[in-house]
Amino acid sequence: MYNKNFILKLIAFTALFFILDFCISKFLLNGLEKYYGLNDDTEIVLVGHSHLMLGVDKRKMERELGVGVSKYTREGVNVTDRKIMTQQVLRKNKKINTLIYGIDAWTFTSEGLSNNSHKLFYPFLNDSVIDSYVSKNSDLSEYLSKKIIKTSRYDELLISSSFRGYLGKWTNLKFGKVDVENLRANIRNGDYRKIENTDYNIEVLRETLDLLAKKNIRVILLYVPTIVLLTKVQEPAYNETIALFDAFSKEFDNVEFLNLQEPWSKEYDLFYDPIHLNPEGQSVITEKLIHYLKISEK
Amino acid sequence: MDNINGFMAIAGANIKFSYLELILPVGISFFTFQALSYSLDVFYGNTKIENNIVRFGTFVSFFPQLVAGPIERSSNLLEQLKNKHSFSKENFIEGSKLFIWGLFKKVVIADRLAIYVDKVYEHPELYSGPTLIVATLFFAFQIYCDFSGYSDMAIGAARILGFKLMQNFNLPYFASSISDFWKRWHISLSSWFGDYVYKPLGGSRVKYIKWLRNILVVFLVSGFWHGANWTFIIWGLLHAFLYFFESWGDLLLQKFRILKIKRTVIYKFFKIASVFMIVCYAWVYFRASSVRDAFSITRKIFIDWSDKFYIGSSMVTFLLSIVLIIFLLVFQISQYKGISSLYFSRSKINPWLQMIWYLTLLLGISLLGMSSNSFIYFQF
Repeated sequence: MYNKNFILKLIAFTALFFILDFCISKFLLNGLEKYYGLNDDTEIVLVGHSHLMLGVDKRKMERELGVGVSKYTREGVNVTDRKIMTQQVLRKNKKINTLIYGIDAWTFTSEGLSNNSHKLFYPFLNDSVIDSYVSKNSDLSEYLSKKIIKTSRYDELLISSSFRGYLGKWTNLKFGKVDVENLRANIRNGDYRKIENTDYNIEVLRETLDLLAKKNIRVILLYVPTIVLLTKVQEPAYNETIALFDAFSKEFDNVEFLNLQEPWSKEYDLFYDPIHLNPEGQSVITEKLIHYLKISEK
Repeated sequence: MDNINGFMAIAGANIKFSYLELILPVGISFFTFQALSYSLDVFYGNTKIENNIVRFGTFVSFFPQLVAGPIERSSNLLEQLKNKHSFSKENFIEGSKLFIWGLFKKVVIADRLAIYVDKVYEHPELYSGPTLIVATLFFAFQIYCDFSGYSDMAIGAARILGFKLMQNFNLPYFASSISDFWKRWHISLSSWFGDYVYKPLGGSRVKYIKWLRNILVVFLVSGFWHGANWTFIIWGLLHAFLYFFESWGDLLLQKFRILKIKRTVIYKFFKIASVFMIVCYAWVYFRASSVRDAFSITRKIFIDWSDKFYIGSSMVTFLLSIVLIIFLLVFQISQYKGISSLYFSRSKINPWLQMIWYLTLLLGISLLGMSSNSFIYFQF
C-alpha cells in the first residue's frame, strides 16, 4: 500500500510533466507559426536567412501592397534549409503567388553557415517531411529526446520569436551602425567570409526553383545589399555568383532577379554590420522592393 | 613545464625539459586524492585496512562522483560500501530532487553564462571595463553552478542508490569572510587540505609566523592542485593574503572593541557583498588564460571604460542570463533563510508547491538547457 501510493504519485508527476510539456510546446509552436506566417494563406512569402529577415519590413509591405505577407526567415540557413523551408511553406500555404527568395554573394558557399542547421527545424518535427530530414541528420538519442520531450525542441531565440508572433512584432532591433574601420582591418588580415560557389548548392537552388515553377509561383531572387568592401575584395567570385543568378532568371520563366546591391552597398550608414541592414537600411530596401512589385504588377 | 623551463632560462642553465606525451584520465586528481586520503587514514590509524579489492576499487572510482568529486573519505564511503543497500522511496525522492536541481544549475545557468564568459575571456583585450566586470561576475556564477551542479548530481545519484556523500557546497557566495568562504566552497577539498596538509604542519597551534606559513602552504597547494599555471598559483596566493588581511582586520576590531556593529543587518550585507566582490576579483586569475591577460583585465576594470558595452550573441540571451542569476539568488536566499532546505530533506514549503517547483525545473532544463559544454572541473 505504501509503495503503491508512491508509484501513483510518481506516475501522476510524470503524466503532469508530459501534459505541461505538450501544452507549452503547442503554445510556442502556434506563436512561432504566427511569427513565420506559416498558417496564414498569404499571397507573398519571403524565404531566406538573416539578411532578408533584417532587410525587409513585412508590415510596410502589407500596408503598401494591400496583401498578406509571410516572412519565413531563419538565421544561418543554407540553400538546403531554404529548400526545406520552401517545401514547408508550399504545404502550409495554398494562396501563395509570389515567393521572394533571399540571396547574396555567399548563397552557394557552404562554409560559414551552421553544419548542424537541421536543429533549426526541431519545432516542426510533427511535419513528416521535416521529421525525415531531421532524423537523417541527427543522432538517434538527440532525435528521440526531441520527439519525446517536445519543449526540448525550443531555445530562447525560438521562444522569443514565438512571443513576437503572438505580439505581432517583426521590427528590426539591430540599431547602430557598422564599424567600417574594423571591417577594413579584418579584410586586410584576410579575416572575412570567402565566396565559394559549389556545384551541389547551385543544384539545390535549381531544384527549389524547379519546384516553384511546377506550382506556377512567381519567384523573385532578391539580393539584399551587403557592404561593398566585402564583395569588392572578391570581385571575380562575386561576378560569377551574380552571373549564376542572371542565368537562373533566364532559365526559368517564373524567376526574376532583383539585385539591390547598388547603390546601397556603398551607403555604410544603412548597415548594422557588414552583412545586415539596420532599421534605416531596412526602410530603404523595403521601399525599393515595394516599388518593384508595384511596377511589375502593371 | 613551461614555468620550470622559464626559471632555468632565467638562471642561465642550458637545460630544457620536454613534455611527456601522456593522456591522463579525466578526474585524475579526484582519484588520487581519494586514494591518498585512504592511505593517510590507514597510516594515522583513523581507518582499518580494506582487504576487499572490489570494495576498495569501488571506493576509489565510485561512479557518481568519479570525475569531479566530492572527494570522499574512507571513513564515510568505504563504511557504507560494506552495508547492503535496498531501494528506498525517501532516498529516491531526495536524490532525484538534488539531481534535478544540479542539472538545472549546470545545463541551464552555467552553460548559458559560459557563452558570454568564453567569448570575452578569449580576447579580453578587445573589451572595456564594464564588459569585463560583467564577464567576471558571470564567471563567478558559471563556475559555482557548474561545479556545485555536478556535486549535487553526484550526491543525488549516489543518494538514489542509497549512499550518502558529503556536502561539497554550502551557499559560498553568502560567506561573510574569506575563511567562511572556504568553509562553504568545495568543502571536501578544503577539509582534505585542512586534515592532510594544514594540521600535519601544526595547524593553528603553532607560533604566529608558522601559522602564516601553514596558511600560505595550504593555499599554494590549492592553487597548484587546480593547474600548473601561474594564474592558479596567483589565485591561491591571493586567497592566502586575503585570509591574512582578514585575520589582521578581526584583531583590530577586537582591539578597538567595535564588534557591536557586527550585529546589524547592513553590516552583515556589506560583509557578504564585499567578500563576494573580492572572491569575484580573484576569479579573474582563475579564468584568465595567462597572467598577462589577468593584469590587462585588472587594468581595464579600473581604468578603461571607454569602449561600448558588449551584450553578447543576443540581447535575449544576455537578459535571460541575468534573469537566471536572479532566479538562483532568490532560491538561495530562501535556503540561506532556512525557508527551503539546502539538501532538500526538510523543506518548509508545501508539497504541492514543491511539485510545481520541480516541474518548473524539469521544463526549464528541457526548454533552456544546453548540451554543448563539458564540466569545468573535468580538467582537474
